[in-house]
Amino acid sequence: MTSLAMLRADERAKAGEAFAARGLPHRRIEEWKYSDLRNTIGANDVSAAGSVAWSLPHTPQGLEVLDLSQDEIPGWARAHWGKLRGQGVMEDAAIAFSTGGLALRVPKGTAVREPFHMNLIAGGHGRVLIVLEEGASLTLVETHDASQALVNIEYEIALGANATLQHIRRMPNAADAVRVGTVSATLAKSACYRGHFADFGSKLSRLETNLTLDGAGAEAKLSGVAVLAGKTHADVTTHIKHAAGDTASTQLFKLVAGGQARGVYQGRITVAEGANKSDSRQTAKGLLLGERAEIDLKPELEIFADDVKCAHGAAIGDLDAESLFYLRSRGIPEREARDLLIHAFLADAIAEIEDEGLRAEIWRAVEAALVYAEAAP
Amino acid sequence: MAAANETRKAETKLAVAELGEKYKYGFVTDIEMERAPKGLSEDTVRFISAKKSEPEWMLQWRLGAFRRWQEMREPNWARVHYQKIDYQDSYYYAAPKSQSNKPQSLDEIDPKILETYKKLGIPLHEQMLLAGVAVDAVFDSVSVATTFKAKLNEAGVIFCPISEAIRDHGELVRKYLGTVVPVTDNFFATLNSAVFSDGTFVYVPKGVRCPMELSTYFRINAQDTGQFERTLIIADEGSYVSYLEGCTAPKRDENQLHAAVVELVALEGAEIKYSTVQNWYPGDEDGKGGIYNFVTKRGDCRGNRSKISWTQVETGSAITWKYPSCILRGDDSVGEFYSIAITNNYQQADTGTKMTHLGKNTRSRIISKGISAGRAQNTYRGLVSVHPRAENARNYTQCDSLLIGAQCGAHTVPYIESRNRSSRIEHEATTSKIAEDQLFYCTQRGIPAEEAVALIVNGFCREVLQQLPMEFAVEAQKLVGISLEGSVG
Repeated sequence: MTSLAMLRADERAKAGEAFAARGLPHRRIEEWKYSDLRNTIGANDVSAAGSVAWSLPHTPQGLEVLDLSQDEIPGWARAHWGKLRGQGVMEDAAIAFSTGGLALRVPKGTAVREPFHMNLIAGGHGRVLIVLEEGASLTLVETHDASQALVNIEYEIALGANATLQHIRRMPNAADAVRVGTVSATLAKSACYRGHFADFGSKLSRLETNLTLDGAGAEAKLSGVAVLAGKTHADVTTHIKHAAGDTASTQLFKLVAGGQARGVYQGRITVAEGANKSDSRQTAKGLLLGERAEIDLKPELEIFADDVKCAHGAAIGDLDAESLFYLRSRGIPEREARDLLIHAFLADAIAEIEDEGLRAEIWRAVEAALVYAEAAP
Repeated sequence: MAAANETRKAETKLAVAELGEKYKYGFVTDIEMERAPKGLSEDTVRFISAKKSEPEWMLQWRLGAFRRWQEMREPNWARVHYQKIDYQDSYYYAAPKSQSNKPQSLDEIDPKILETYKKLGIPLHEQMLLAGVAVDAVFDSVSVATTFKAKLNEAGVIFCPISEAIRDHGELVRKYLGTVVPVTDNFFATLNSAVFSDGTFVYVPKGVRCPMELSTYFRINAQDTGQFERTLIIADEGSYVSYLEGCTAPKRDENQLHAAVVELVALEGAEIKYSTVQNWYPGDEDGKGGIYNFVTKRGDCRGNRSKISWTQVETGSAITWKYPSCILRGDDSVGEFYSIAITNNYQQADTGTKMTHLGKNTRSRIISKGISAGRAQNTYRGLVSVHPRAENARNYTQCDSLLIGAQCGAHTVPYIESRNRSSRIEHEATTSKIAEDQLFYCTQRGIPAEEAVALIVNGFCREVLQQLPMEFAVEAQKLVGISLEGSVG
């Protein structure tokens, strides 16, 4: 299969050129206004980072896992590989500087019962292709390790009609790491993408989710929490495109920033012309705990159809003084009262995760992270 | 008194009759014009400065701006599309010729100009007393008449064309000009700094509450002339002033550029209320013609406990690019922005505000209502920024969009940045269309669809319309109806 090898080499060369021409994104580029990668990491460190490595402890029944560095790849992978990606610089970097990749497929009508765990064991660039055929479903749990300096992963996801993917990312605190993830997904009729994350801070982390709701009934549900301390920086960027009518999207993000940390949310909803009866909701809230912490929110609506329901809400503040007083007046010590209120702040975003065991794990991690976030710089 | 009443009645009839027209201000007054040579160069700048008999420092200021402007690039981040403007293919100075010798009273004013204003419904004569409005009418570039000067003089308020202020109150102008919108601020503001031909200057002394609402009427008349006014309003400690700005422009096929700069300075305890009804020619049903309205407006709450409030009703212009902003520098200062932006046919509006919280206990409030019909694109773009020292800053933002028709667009781009944990920012936005049941309810009671839409839209805008001074509120409500003509049925 020399032709495949050549195609790959060609694709990588093109992406490499594009990366070299554009360079690392920085704050002068509108999409990266709040997250300056150029100031955080050197371009050479990026191009020399190599490929990521995953540990995949168990492949549940019904799921097909494929290493894309092999010589021959099947038609379903070739049909989507490299075709769903966006135009981001970091996607170019992932394609140019990684070899191979991982492809997951759930065939038509198959519901994979157990969650599939992907644990990152070595940093670098990576590519992941996920194809869920008609009526298929999968829960994917990704856990990052704390020890990698750079992780940059490009995800391409195709969800067939009525397919459901639950995509969960857990990112433990890694104060020196730079983590970038770019998800591009297209959803066919009545497909559902549920993306959830818990980010406990890195030098700079950015999760960009670009979804296209292509068929009627398609639905996106995104939620996430970031609990940040020290000088960490977390950026959540989303772009949900309602390309077809009768589509729905909800977003719920809660950012907690202690110390000198910075939390960022940039979300754009586009409703295309004719995509009537689209329903989209976008909520982003920031809680500032640190005296020198910062939160930036940019919830954007871009609407070209008239029969739609679109709303967004955004708020930034400290813990509500009155609520705190109320609790303390009932004999609850300040420490505990604050804890209660922070839990209440985060609760609805974490509740979006369907699996109870996962929720409990995330809560434990939140509690550990809050100790740092609440501490002085 | 009886005669005055008769005149008013006749004018009211005329005004009502004109409401039925599509764009009632689309007429051209044929007056001989005195123009600067076409194009933009240092000579044009010198010409304008010389025409205005400006002091040397003003000329140097303009030239500095012009040199800077030559190195600048036109911004392209706004959601507006237009053919590239050829800055060399326009006149930068136009004044009615008969103005060479300044008139001493209203009687000396070219009757054609007075006729124009009459059609616009400006109460330039005795009705002004009843209306309590002093008008500094800018006809193209030169202020034609300033009334009620005596009464304002008594209070110590300076209200005059800025060209006059540069001559008579040079120190005051020099102290404040360009301190809110620096010469280098942005492409259009820098252009304006180089070539502004006239505008309004207001100074309200310490502790004075301006005895009347001040008002300026801008009007673009001559073909191919950009209008570059410059407005500077200074409210000294503890003073108050309410300023009304109205704009209408006659019908033209080519697009005309309007790049104004407005600077407001509120010192300790002062309050400025700035209201605009902008009704420049929006172009025809096919998007041909219309004004490019690229305006920089900014207020500086320089003193503690000062307040600046912007209210705007934007129904006109082919393209609007405008972000009236507040710098909340003084402690306990307040910034407000109330806006209605209506776009129909092929109009494009990219408008919003910036609230920059620098001082302690600063508060801001943003209420924005965008209405989009036909094939128009309407964008709210705003920034709320809380700096680290802005203890206990508060912001509340509400921006709602209403869509009428399937081919228009409504967009919201808010930036919210907080670097102080004791601050609180809230932002809400919704997008919807006129509910079928509301429309049905109205039509079922015999209200024609178009009137019903105007009624519902007026309800949608109510919170903003309430902020307008009474004289403007009535006109604004009518404008809402006129702007949306042809958007239903």
